[in-house]
Amino acid sequence: MKDIRFEGIGKAFPTRGGGQFVALDDVTLTVAEREFVAVVGPSGSGKTTLMRMAAGLDHPTSGQVAVGGKRVTAPGPDRAVVFQQFALFPWKTVRENIAFGLRCQGAPRAKQDEVVARYLRLMNMEGTEDRYPHQLSGGMQQRVAIARSYAIEPDVLLMDEPFGALDAQTRTVMQEELVRLTRREPRTTLFITHAVEEAVYLSDRVVVLARDPGRLREIVDIRPTRIAEGWDEMAIDAVMDLPSFTHLRTHVWRLLRDQIRPDD
Amino acid sequence: MSAPDLSVQRRADAGAPAPPRAARRLPRFGIGRRTLVGALSLLGLLVLWWVLTTGTGLVAPYRFPSPAEFRGALDQFVTDGYAGGTLWVQAWHSTRLVLMGFAVAVVTGVPLGLLMGVSPRAEALLNPAFLLVRPIPPLAWIPLAIVWLGLGDAAKVLVIWFAAFVPSVINTWTGVRGVDRTLIAAARVHGAGSRRLLTEVIIPGALPMIFTGLRLSLQASWTTLVAAELVGAFFGLGRVLDAAYRDINPAMITVAMVAVGILGAATTRLLGEAERRLIPWRS
Ligand SMILES: Nc1ncnc2c1ncn2[C@@H]1O[C@H](COP(=O)(O)OP(=O)(O)OP(=O)(O)O)[C@@H](O)[C@H]1O
Ligand SMILES: [Mg+2]
Repeated sequence: MKDIRFEGIGKAFPTRGGGQFVALDDVTLTVAEREFVAVVGPSGSGKTTLMRMAAGLDHPTSGQVAVGGKRVTAPGPDRAVVFQQFALFPWKTVRENIAFGLRCQGAPRAKQDEVVARYLRLMNMEGTEDRYPHQLSGGMQQRVAIARSYAIEPDVLLMDEPFGALDAQTRTVMQEELVRLTRREPRTTLFITHAVEEAVYLSDRVVVLARDPGRLREIVDIRPTRIAEGWDEMAIDAVMDLPSFTHLRTHVWRLLRDQIRPDD
Repeated sequence: MSAPDLSVQRRADAGAPAPPRAARRLPRFGIGRRTLVGALSLLGLLVLWWVLTTGTGLVAPYRFPSPAEFRGALDQFVTDGYAGGTLWVQAWHSTRLVLMGFAVAVVTGVPLGLLMGVSPRAEALLNPAFLLVRPIPPLAWIPLAIVWLGLGDAAKVLVIWFAAFVPSVINTWTGVRGVDRTLIAAARVHGAGSRRLLTEVIIPGALPMIFTGLRLSLQASWTTLVAAELVGAFFGLGRVLDAAYRDINPAMITVAMVAVGILGAATTRLLGEAERRLIPWRS
């Protein structure tokens, strides 16, 4: 397993006028081995940008990102990404999409079939394996994208609003599923979301970003409470009724709300 | 949970007579109805043709042949031949050259377009040459080809190659550059090497544009071949057109024109069929 270290990350994009737009300013953050960190923040606070740098798809203008002690320079299958826009291959069937990473690794056909079958069952999508993405609903596409990343069992999982397109019911199922998966096989996870409750329910720590420029606002520790109260053994709705959960959720919520100024 | 299976729906439309519901939903009527309307419009044209040339004589026969004269020229062409061969011989001669030139253009153009799309270095190297060559109308290559290779088949293939090459390159190149960056990122974060990236992401992603290029190339192939045969050839439908023009034989001119039209449409249709099979994921 590997950790992710963001050390004094700055990211500026050149603007049309020849100036610069600062998307991220001096972000220092470590996601420990097997730790689940959720990132919340207003739209445009640089969440996706942060994740892309850990994936090696973008490079910081200052500071550096290291995964497992090695500076990130390019994408690699040790850091699988679930993209905000799914990014399924339109020309591949559900089966081929899920098996893509395994094929890249040269896994034998039998192993691929087994993994595909397992995730189709897990994602409640049996019988859709020969469909193309355009024949799936948005929620189904998102589940295929998640399965594609889980299937390669990466050291680091980078997820950009992976449940954003799901209906409330499927979303709950997927959240519980993710908790089950990550508690059974913990992976270093950076999980971006807009949903505060989701962030608090799933993670060890919640990172709150601020905007203009994107920067670290506060890091909220969830893990001690979760362990002490045994959240992992409880259903999601039961957890959400707990005073400790409500307290943490409201705390994160205030951190976000305080950023919304009247002129926004 | 069941997304509509479009292929099944389409097949159902083709089989049964279009239900009244489909008729109201213009313009997407069933294939059966579409064929009927097409046939009616063709029939209407034929009637109009007969009325203009035969029924009323508004159009004089030395300007445009009547249906009967057309039929006569066609019979002559099929049985006795014209300008050195029967219809089948001449048509096959032209088709063969078009297919050869088109094939050479595609086999060279598509890989070059791919290369320019994926390699900035190749693009920097080749783009200036392209900017220079691209505005030259394909037909302008004909004299040079004749000077180099004479009036035979080789010159024709060369001209078609020049003409059909450019659309293949440009559209493939554009297609590669238009491939969704997120899909390329997705392939890389799941462990795809550059070879797999090319064959399983970039080429499929560019395929619709590649086919657009191929269609334009095929059109350019027919255009330039007929033009080149008009300028000078021993066989082919362009040669027939040229001979019929010298004989002042409008009926034979029209027969040759129709033959070129049918062959162009048929080859385009074949290409469309290949596209449909190679791009099954398109809705
Ligand atoms: N390639 C780019 N060029 C210029 N500006 C960019 C680029 N990518 C991102 N930005 C800017 O950087 C800022 C952060 O973008 P980012 O996508 O990381 O936001 P986000 O927090 O993920 O937002 P959302 O919640 O809406 O997904 C935005 O203001 C965006 O306009
Ligand atoms: Mg984002």
